Amino acid sequence: MCRILDLSLVSNSLRLMVFCLFILNLQGCAAMKSLQEKSWLFPGHPEEAIERNRFPVAKGVDVIGRLAVVRLEEGDTLPDIARHFSLGINAISDANPGVDVWVPEDGERILLPLSFILPDAPRRGIVVNLATMRLFHYKGDSKSLVVSTYPVGVSTEERPTPTGQTHVARKVTRPTWHVPASIAADHRKKGDILPAKVPPGPENPLGEYALYLGKTSYLIHGTNKPASIGLNATNGCMRLYPENVKMLYKDTPVNTPVAIVNQPYLIGQRDGVLYLEAHTPPEGLSTGELERINAKLRTIEKKAAQTLDWKKVKEVQTEARGIPVPIFELRPGSLNEVANPIKVQHPDTLYGRPEIPELTMEGWYVLVADLRDEIDARRLAAIVNHQGPPIPARVLSKNSSYRVIAGPFSDISQAKDAVKRLKYDLDLDGVVIEPVNKG
Amino acid sequence: MKKSLMLITMMLVLPMTLIGCATSGDLEKVQAQQKLIDAKAEQALQDSQAAKAAADAAKLEADQANARAAEAEKAAAERERIADEKAQRADAAFQKSMRK
Repeated sequence: MCRILDLSLVSNSLRLMVFCLFILNLQGCAAMKSLQEKSWLFPGHPEEAIERNRFPVAKGVDVIGRLAVVRLEEGDTLPDIARHFSLGINAISDANPGVDVWVPEDGERILLPLSFILPDAPRRGIVVNLATMRLFHYKGDSKSLVVSTYPVGVSTEERPTPTGQTHVARKVTRPTWHVPASIAADHRKKGDILPAKVPPGPENPLGEYALYLGKTSYLIHGTNKPASIGLNATNGCMRLYPENVKMLYKDTPVNTPVAIVNQPYLIGQRDGVLYLEAHTPPEGLSTGELERINAKLRTIEKKAAQTLDWKKVKEVQTEARGIPVPIFELRPGSLNEVANPIKVQHPDTLYGRPEIPELTMEGWYVLVADLRDEIDARRLAAIVNHQGPPIPARVLSKNSSYRVIAGPFSDISQAKDAVKRLKYDLDLDGVVIEPVNKG
Repeated sequence: MKKSLMLITMMLVLPMTLIGCATSGDLEKVQAQQKLIDAKAEQALQDSQAAKAAADAAKLEADQANARAAEAEKAAAERERIADEKAQRADAAFQKSMRK
């Protein structure tokens, strides 16, 4: 009797255990399924890296790369993010309208415009599009064409870079800068006397590498002002980030053809989708270029025997965010296959970000400004930090005042040199501060 | 003849007196009613004036609140404009500093 009772008890417990295991298994399956679905729809972990410079170019494809997003962290500036991802300041600020370049909010999502429409030019050698401030270097033949692309700093309106065809005439590492008379005169007006030539080093605006073009006195070179990439800041030359010009220099033989174009509106196709990329056109170029691109779109519309969404076209052209926007299906259903921007993990350190040394009691400092508004102070400190060569600066707050302090400098002459540069470059009146502990 | 005249006079005077008595009573009644109505009218007028004053005060308050809100909005827009201008000036100075 006892034995029978025991067996039934064991059997009941076993049944209960089996039932529980069954339920747990079911839950496990459901959880796994939801996890798989979730990861397919929303990549849970952001990508650690994304291609920024080198892309294969398939036949009949005009659009390369992929858009990405990154979440800002405390102390980030858009120029730092731009440099890390090989973008110019123009590209990152146009793609993110309304975001403060120097003092963006922590946690803000930033669109990285790492997708480009290739310029309407032969795909050989170097092609520079002045309007988009981007250089494209084609290598290989039509069967295995690869393009390396880098952001550039280009000319101001006063001294524009001439468009047209040229070539790389010679290459020089650690070039000497022979100061042009026009630049010497500009500096003289501000009371800054430049030498006739500047040797290689941190003061040399050509950086470490230079490609001299067939058009005399026009160069593709590096820079000692990396934050100028993506700006109209040169006297006709095209400057690249130091790390980019190094790659370009290595990859480019003498006599490589160079085409310089000025195309603010670009159209191109990929995977059966027609894209339009619009940039703010330089003054005097807008109407003609707009007519040219709209005529092209009308031809495509006619060929496809479908109506284009002209409202959207106009919107893209007006917004001028500098990113390829899908506007037309060349193959039915292709618009549904357009990939969403990829989420990229914020790197631990941003490449090329200016470093600010620790405060020392023995160092010399410069009081750059005493401001009431914290944002203004942080913006000014960031601007000073991004000078070339950099001037380390930080904000020290006291009661309701925010002081922008540059330094530390090892001696008084360095501090005075910083005061001079702040005056010439930013029209700021810095005040030298003696060390707390005088050696 | 005198008697007839007297009779006629009496016949005329009596009703007239009676009518006159009735008229003065009515008049008093009417006057009392008028007083009451007048008092009511006065009260209504006072009430309406009070309501109007209250409405005016409320409108004034609303207007003032609106004006304050508009002022605050204007001030915020002005602050934003100044901040934008400052940022633009800073950017322009920075861009200039990036030249050779």
